[in-house]
Amino acid sequence: MLTKRASGRPLLSLAMVGSLVLAGCVTSSPGEDDPDESGNGNGGAGSGSVIISGSSTVEPISSIVAEDFAAANEGFDYEVDGPGTGDGFAQFCDGETDISDASRPISDEEVTACDENGIPWVELKVAVDGISVLTSPANDAVSCLSFLDLYALVGPESQGLDEWSAASDLAEELAGELGRDFGAVNTPYPDATLEVTAPGEESGTYDSFIELVFEDIAEGRGTDPVARPDYTATADDNGIIEGISGTDTSLGWVGFSFYQENADVVKALEVDGGDGCVAPTTQTIASNEYPLARDLFIYVNTDNAAENESLAAFVDYYLSDEGIAAVEESSYVALTPEALEETRSAWEGR
Amino acid sequence: MSAARPALTGTDFVEQRLRGTGTTDWRSWLLEGALLLSLLIALGILIVLVGDTLIKALPIFSERPIEFLTSIVSARPERAGILQAIIGSLTITIIVAVLAIPIGIGAAIYLEEYARDTRMSRFIRTNIRNLAGVPAIVYGLLGLAVFATVLRLGNILLAGGLTLAVLVLPVVVITTSEALSAVPNAIREAAYGVGATRWETIRSHVLPYAAPGIFTGTILSLARAFGETAPLLLVGSIAGTFNFVGPPWEQAFEGYTTLPTMVYHWSGYPQDEFRALSAATIVVLLGVILLVNASAILLRNRYDRKW
Amino acid sequence: MTASTDRLSRPLAPSDLRIAGSRRHRENFIRVAFLLAASLSVVISVAIVLTLVGNAAGFVLQVDLAALWTDGWFPRRAMYDIKTIVAGTMVISAIAMVVAAPLGIGAALYLSEYASTRSRKLLKPIIEILAAIPSVVLGFFALAWISPNLVQAIFGAPLFNMLAAGIAVGILITPLVASIAEDAMHAVPAYLREAAYGLGARRRTTSLRVVAPAAVSGIVAALLLGVSRAIGETMIVALVAGATGGSLFNINPLDQGQTMTAAMTALAIGSDRVRGAELTFESLYFVGFLLFVFTLGLNLLSDAFVRRVRRRY
Repeated sequence: MLTKRASGRPLLSLAMVGSLVLAGCVTSSPGEDDPDESGNGNGGAGSGSVIISGSSTVEPISSIVAEDFAAANEGFDYEVDGPGTGDGFAQFCDGETDISDASRPISDEEVTACDENGIPWVELKVAVDGISVLTSPANDAVSCLSFLDLYALVGPESQGLDEWSAASDLAEELAGELGRDFGAVNTPYPDATLEVTAPGEESGTYDSFIELVFEDIAEGRGTDPVARPDYTATADDNGIIEGISGTDTSLGWVGFSFYQENADVVKALEVDGGDGCVAPTTQTIASNEYPLARDLFIYVNTDNAAENESLAAFVDYYLSDEGIAAVEESSYVALTPEALEETRSAWEGR
Repeated sequence: MSAARPALTGTDFVEQRLRGTGTTDWRSWLLEGALLLSLLIALGILIVLVGDTLIKALPIFSERPIEFLTSIVSARPERAGILQAIIGSLTITIIVAVLAIPIGIGAAIYLEEYARDTRMSRFIRTNIRNLAGVPAIVYGLLGLAVFATVLRLGNILLAGGLTLAVLVLPVVVITTSEALSAVPNAIREAAYGVGATRWETIRSHVLPYAAPGIFTGTILSLARAFGETAPLLLVGSIAGTFNFVGPPWEQAFEGYTTLPTMVYHWSGYPQDEFRALSAATIVVLLGVILLVNASAILLRNRYDRKW
Repeated sequence: MTASTDRLSRPLAPSDLRIAGSRRHRENFIRVAFLLAASLSVVISVAIVLTLVGNAAGFVLQVDLAALWTDGWFPRRAMYDIKTIVAGTMVISAIAMVVAAPLGIGAALYLSEYASTRSRKLLKPIIEILAAIPSVVLGFFALAWISPNLVQAIFGAPLFNMLAAGIAVGILITPLVASIAEDAMHAVPAYLREAAYGLGARRRTTSLRVVAPAAVSGIVAALLLGVSRAIGETMIVALVAGATGGSLFNINPLDQGQTMTAAMTALAIGSDRVRGAELTFESLYFVGFLLFVFTLGLNLLSDAFVRRVRRRY
């Protein structure tokens, strides 16, 4: 079509062909990752491959386990994605994945969906995560908050409250109505601006927080268990840390691993869920003493596990001492030995 | 203007003005300064951005540059690399080029050279031009609905490639149309005058004239597809880890990732090492895009000529 | 944008009237090939529009229309307030244009009228190349640098706010505006400038009073294209403007907000995108359709304006 004027074209074609050849050379050189025919992503049953999807919280753990297992087992292919717990379950109950990572237990609707599609599963608790309630290190006035405090500060009835002290009245009211079931109120609050930065409604962390802190109180008050709509909500956990450390009298919540990685720039508050103020540490989270602890699970398709030896071997490895060490490597909290035994029995008895 | 000069002719006068040696006042200086400032700010901020990213990426490039480019993704930052992302981005670009460019250029040639100027053809042109401006994420949504779900392709690279091809197609049509319509009719008439058919005219007269513009337009739209993040995340690029590595013709049917996906994914981790990975990937991404764009634009400038 | 010649209907080639033998076959074959390409493009375009409109209509028919006018956009709780996301888009686009218009047009004017030919040859490609920076890169830069150092330092706003997002979007589209405006100014014929200089005008007067008005259709096209791009910008607003799960109606740029594009992103890439109220996912199509309508409106506006103001030389 083109005459010799636009002689840039052959150059470009040559470059593209060259890069194709280069890519082919680089990838077909012998290495630990010789590709297997693992199909187009619709379930890995029957081949040496495992497809994992679900919670972005659990994804780092599963990634490390998969990587280590693949390093020890030639020809093992894996895919670990983290679009979200709900997405993961949707794919899992459609038969598209072998394992579903989850930062919450499977819901009733999801159980029904899996039943309808004939997907049998087993629930395996693999780790514990905590939700840390954070403020700026410069904030000396507050060191412990109870569920009632949190409800008063960031609950559904607190829209428009710009200062900590503005929530004091509501907190007192709650204490009067609900007693000490949800912890003692720590009023009076300081007379400072209340800057809340926390995950938004799209996040599993938000859901867990609401469930643990607000649900029962909201039931008692007859309100909708949601956070106040006017706080700075973002999906970027790193951004939340930056937001909290950036203002002096900030308030927010984030996964425990994010807190641990940034313990030098934020301050964790103790949380009182009715049994006194407890600080978030590995021990208190593992023992469930810390009231904002949540369990992390993997759900395994037992049919696929029966057909796919690699999948069964993989889960065996996951729950072994060597594999489960990935939990701590990812900065989450390991299960207590008893809890781990329970999980192992659940897997054996699938 | 020195007194020793002879009286200026009209052209001399204009020349002097154009060179700016005439009398100037403070307002002129101010204007020139303000304009220069806006240019420098525009360039400056972008340079700061690149510099800041380079600094953040330094740990990776100083310690393990080759390994970074040839390793697969890993949950452990000290081992993670962008090999699969590079292959993924490359393969998608190839798919987009193979699909969108021939169809787009062909469609534009038809619309500009063959179709009569009816209401229908103008409506089609408006429709395509509108689609060229629709945000990329809408295409991601449509790609999800059509390719991943209806056609049951699943989350393979081909679905992403098709999505981006559809995204790029209107842009290719529009830029090619513009390049073609900029060709003066005199050129065409010259060819007809010696008995050429329509296609022969296009091939020997119109396309050579329009080639630099077409070429630049296609390269720029490919570069744009290269940098797209949101649509591919929607259609299923993996923001996680996987260990498939293969040449493009195999990768097209497997789970995949791209450079922008990795940028997005790694910046979601709290550990600083992952942020460095993210920055390093940005450097590679920017490097490729800027290089490609630079080549395209420089080549166009070289071959552009006024007729 | 190069100045195009008059759009006559395609000249009739004498050889259209009578072509012999194999040439005619080849001619027809090629014509059909191009026709197929064009038809395929048309089919794809129509399919895109239909899918979008169809699914959006499905949403509108099923949704409780009161949900479209609530306090805020909280799709997971079936609150689909349109004015929230439209307001967010408007605010950020306005801020972006406040940044991009002076910077872009100023840079263009400088390049076209003041820079020497050599520096223009160097700087213009640089600006065009910079127009290719992906938005995800600018998004992180906005979060890491623009928001803390410019917005928070001066205004004391929270980290995630619309002002920082707007500034970043403005920076993103400045090269685009500059490039197109510069093309328009550069295309103003030399004789207009020469006429002005011949009358004794200084460069400043010529630039502002002769060149700029002559190029106004191109400048307006550049601005409208910039607005269009700003409206469609996704990654920057998703990362910087905050309010990912939902937002109250807000037009204060120092606070967070939700644009149409960010709403789609949040729904689609959020941690749990399918969980929520029944029509949560379908609302994506609805927002996509809104975006489509906005883009269409802008294009038609731009066409009408450019056609009216364009002068022939």
